Amino acid sequence: MAPLRCLGWVLMPALALALLGLAAAAGPRRTPALELAEELAEELWSAGLPGDLPELEPECRSLLAAFAEGSAALTDCLGRRARPVRLCQGCHGHYRRLLAQYGSIARAVGNSSESHNCAKSILTSDRLQIVVTLSEFFNETWEAANCANCLKNNSEGLSNSTEEFLDLFNKSLTCFEHNLQGQTVYLSPNNHTEVCKNCNETYTKLNDLYNHLQRMNRQGGESGHSAHLCIDVEDAMNITRKLWSRTFNCSVPCSDTVPVIAVSSFILFLPIVFYLSSFLHSKQKKRILILPKRIQSNASLVNIQEKYS
Amino acid sequence: QLTPSSFLRIGQLSNVDLNEDIHELETEVPRQRPNEIPHNEKLLSLKYESLDYDSSENQLFLEEERRINHAAFRTVEIKRWVICAMIGILTGLVACFIDIVVENLAGLKYRVVKDNIDKFTAKGGLSFSLLLWATLNASVVMVGSVIVAFIEPVAAGSGIPQIKCYLNGVKIPHVVRLKTLVIKVCGVILSVVGGLAVGKEGPMIHSGSVIAAGISQGRSTSLKRDFKIFEYFRRDTEKRDFVSAGAAAGVSAAFGAPVGGVLFSLEEGASFWNQFLTWRIFFASMISTFTLNSVLSVYHGNAWDLSSPGLINFGRFDNEKMGYTIQEIPIFIFMGVVGGILGALFNALNYWLTMFRIRYIHRPCLQVVEAMLVAAVTATVGFVMIYCSRDCQPIQGSSVAYPLQLFCADGEYNSMATAFFNTPEKSVVNLFHDPPGSYNPMTLGMFTLMYFFLACWTYGLTVSAGVFIPSLLIGAAWGRLFGISLSYLTKGSIWADPGKYALMGAAAQLGGIVRMTLSLTVIMMEATGNVTYGFPIMLVLMTAKIVGDYFVEGLYDMHIQLQSVPFLHWEAPVTSHSLTAREVMSTPVTCLRRIERVGTVVDILSDTSSNHNGFPVVESNPDTTQVAGLRGLILRSQLIVLLKHKVFVERANLNLVQRRLKLKDFRDAYPRFPPIQSIHVSQDERECMIDLSEFMNPSPYTVPQEASLPRVFKLFRALGLRHLVVVDNRNEVVGMVTRKDLARYRLGKEGLEELSLAQT
Repeated sequence: MAPLRCLGWVLMPALALALLGLAAAAGPRRTPALELAEELAEELWSAGLPGDLPELEPECRSLLAAFAEGSAALTDCLGRRARPVRLCQGCHGHYRRLLAQYGSIARAVGNSSESHNCAKSILTSDRLQIVVTLSEFFNETWEAANCANCLKNNSEGLSNSTEEFLDLFNKSLTCFEHNLQGQTVYLSPNNHTEVCKNCNETYTKLNDLYNHLQRMNRQGGESGHSAHLCIDVEDAMNITRKLWSRTFNCSVPCSDTVPVIAVSSFILFLPIVFYLSSFLHSKQKKRILILPKRIQSNASLVNIQEKYS
Repeated sequence: QLTPSSFLRIGQLSNVDLNEDIHELETEVPRQRPNEIPHNEKLLSLKYESLDYDSSENQLFLEEERRINHAAFRTVEIKRWVICAMIGILTGLVACFIDIVVENLAGLKYRVVKDNIDKFTAKGGLSFSLLLWATLNASVVMVGSVIVAFIEPVAAGSGIPQIKCYLNGVKIPHVVRLKTLVIKVCGVILSVVGGLAVGKEGPMIHSGSVIAAGISQGRSTSLKRDFKIFEYFRRDTEKRDFVSAGAAAGVSAAFGAPVGGVLFSLEEGASFWNQFLTWRIFFASMISTFTLNSVLSVYHGNAWDLSSPGLINFGRFDNEKMGYTIQEIPIFIFMGVVGGILGALFNALNYWLTMFRIRYIHRPCLQVVEAMLVAAVTATVGFVMIYCSRDCQPIQGSSVAYPLQLFCADGEYNSMATAFFNTPEKSVVNLFHDPPGSYNPMTLGMFTLMYFFLACWTYGLTVSAGVFIPSLLIGAAWGRLFGISLSYLTKGSIWADPGKYALMGAAAQLGGIVRMTLSLTVIMMEATGNVTYGFPIMLVLMTAKIVGDYFVEGLYDMHIQLQSVPFLHWEAPVTSHSLTAREVMSTPVTCLRRIERVGTVVDILSDTSSNHNGFPVVESNPDTTQVAGLRGLILRSQLIVLLKHKVFVERANLNLVQRRLKLKDFRDAYPRFPPIQSIHVSQDERECMIDLSEFMNPSPYTVPQEASLPRVFKLFRALGLRHLVVVDNRNEVVGMVTRKDLARYRLGKEGLEELSLAQT
């Protein structure tokens, strides 16, 4: 939520300055600073300087209002669905609408002679360019969540595989709940054999489906870019896995330490045998010395070493 | 037990003008040295010969040079550039090939093992997975080791010591052959896929050199194809220039560091440089990294992206967290000290191991078995570490290539597995860039310890593999550990990214092991793509080198020594001023007369006890009152070509239409001159005379007997000589100084020491 709130703070005075009519829509939190800014804007407005402060055309104003409402709705949706993560499932409609609204601003549907007037005055006429910033923020969040991955190609609704996955996910959650009835999760950490036994099938299916999706995704996507599945699916899987292996302690792998130790010590023992046997049995390589043809090779060196040592 | 011939030679000294007391000394000291000794580091092998970097300026050469006009020289210059471009392109392509094949094969292997482990984790029976992993590794490494051990042993190791020797002027047999290249490339692929603690970067330098040597000659002797191009470059001097370009191109392809490549050639090899050569080498390096980059980009599907300039990319280091402050510099220097000590330890352990290998594991079968065992143990150690580790991290996207779950909860992976269950290159990059908290300190500590010993054990096996990446990996692991503990100790007040310390640790460890300075700094700087790291990396490398040199020398120098290579360093040993040429030289010298009997030449050349390569030519004077002054120097290879073409005085007189021998005939035989045994000389021909005056080098370099060793050394080293004749004041030949005569003096722990020559 932190970035949203920050944006809100940045956004409010600016909106108030530029278009006082919409200040009310910006949010219920009003601060003295905001009020001050509003008053200032009002003063300026009443001074009536149409050349310096051109009035926003009514079409543009309505576009802007729509955008503001849309972004508020999307923010609300994102915030509410932050945990457990349901962003892509819940907010894709809002997101799509917002995209359309931004698009219509950018495309500048205005009936004035300068047809780009609307886009220009809303998007690029001040330093802050808050509409652009907001839209960028939403786009980035959407990208980071990788929601496109679990939506249909035209982003209307969830894709089939995601639906299937979520079905299975709900099924396993139901299974967990069903089997846990009567006992609390935290009461007996090792006594969940019932759950493990009964839900194993669903869980394995879910896990396999997830792995399958991941593999498909990795093959289809370019390197690096869309290596992630969409955040909803990832989070759902994470929750289930945590429940399964941490809380219920269901995945207990067979640890066969004895054979591993036996095999590894056997292999580690081999080099010792090898080196010992080659040390004992292999004939040591001898070098044949060649006497150099020299006038005095030993004597001179002895001399030198005496001199210098 | 001395060979009789050497006694005879000593007896023959009487015709040389010497002082009385030297004679006495010579006769007094009884030479009771053992004939056979175990291999040690104080030996010089007879196997290695020098390269002829000084071109023989005989009449044929002068005539040819005179014929070439200005325009022709310009063509030669253009040809040089073309060759350099081709070197770059081919080196880049070879690097691509290695990279792509390794990526696919290793991916296949890890997928198979991962599926197997996943299957058995649920059902039990993980020991089978361990066996599968170990067997896969061992069998892949077996193939890699067999081809190296049985087909081309010189392709073993990283190849950097060999190239260093080659550029120094030592002819290592087979080092720049096409066969070596093929074995090297396949060997590298197999040993990396086999999961050994090795990298594919070092061998790229050797591969680049072989490519350069091959292209510049315009033919392949192994394939028996001669393209009749670039004949001008068929001699050691020209070839050496191209080989240094090839080495630079190799570095550049390996690390994406063109400038580093040029400096590597300069630092490691270059005895003989000029500015135009540097510029050409830089061109070759740039072409090489660009080729690799564009081909790999196409392979990875983003054709115009050009995002993979080297075999290993350290990734981007340019975000804010990665910056360093001035307060951190003492910490970096401390890391340099640690790197120096660890590097010295690595080298010392590897020294003992290599000595043991040379002495006891010299049969190819044993070498193959050893490599297989190392591969199996590497897999086992990795498996046991992963098995015992309880360090689980949540999976985030696809940052981990082969996430192993094992005993972790669903949705998590074993963090030890990112380090062990991966190719070393990827592990290095992971250690640099994984977000803080991806590894717990225990994992890193165990990993560093295990990998240190594995890498040390692996270097020197009979597989082609480099030591760069393992060193970087060890360093990155302890560097990251250091970074984590630092922020722990200071209660998180240093907001340092452990990745930065991992980088510095990697630099320190690599510097401590290989002791390169300038080129390594630039290579690291270019690989990280961050110029501001230049200063700390330089400090770290300097410290590591100083500290490391205090204990033992660098890994490459150590291996050169253990191979008994007569390597000439920059300067003569500092305490050698009291030695003069007379004490250094070999004497007596087998001389030839200017007009010599063919039989004598053949006999001298066939004498196996004195395998000389250069013969001073003296005035052929039937008159004994006159002294036989030095007239020139002729090489064994030249004599062999002369004998092969039967350039005898009598034949020339008989048959005037016989073609005059040209320089081309000598070049065609280069570089593999036939042995003397293959040349048939009939009994009649033995009585013929051979006139050497046209073919010998009439102006060989000479020194008087009184010249000091450093002076002789300087002349020898700076000019890249192979033979230096020692004459007295009447221009009579007294002795001959060759590379081995100079290389045998070395500064040891107790002052100047002398190495002995040995047959290996």
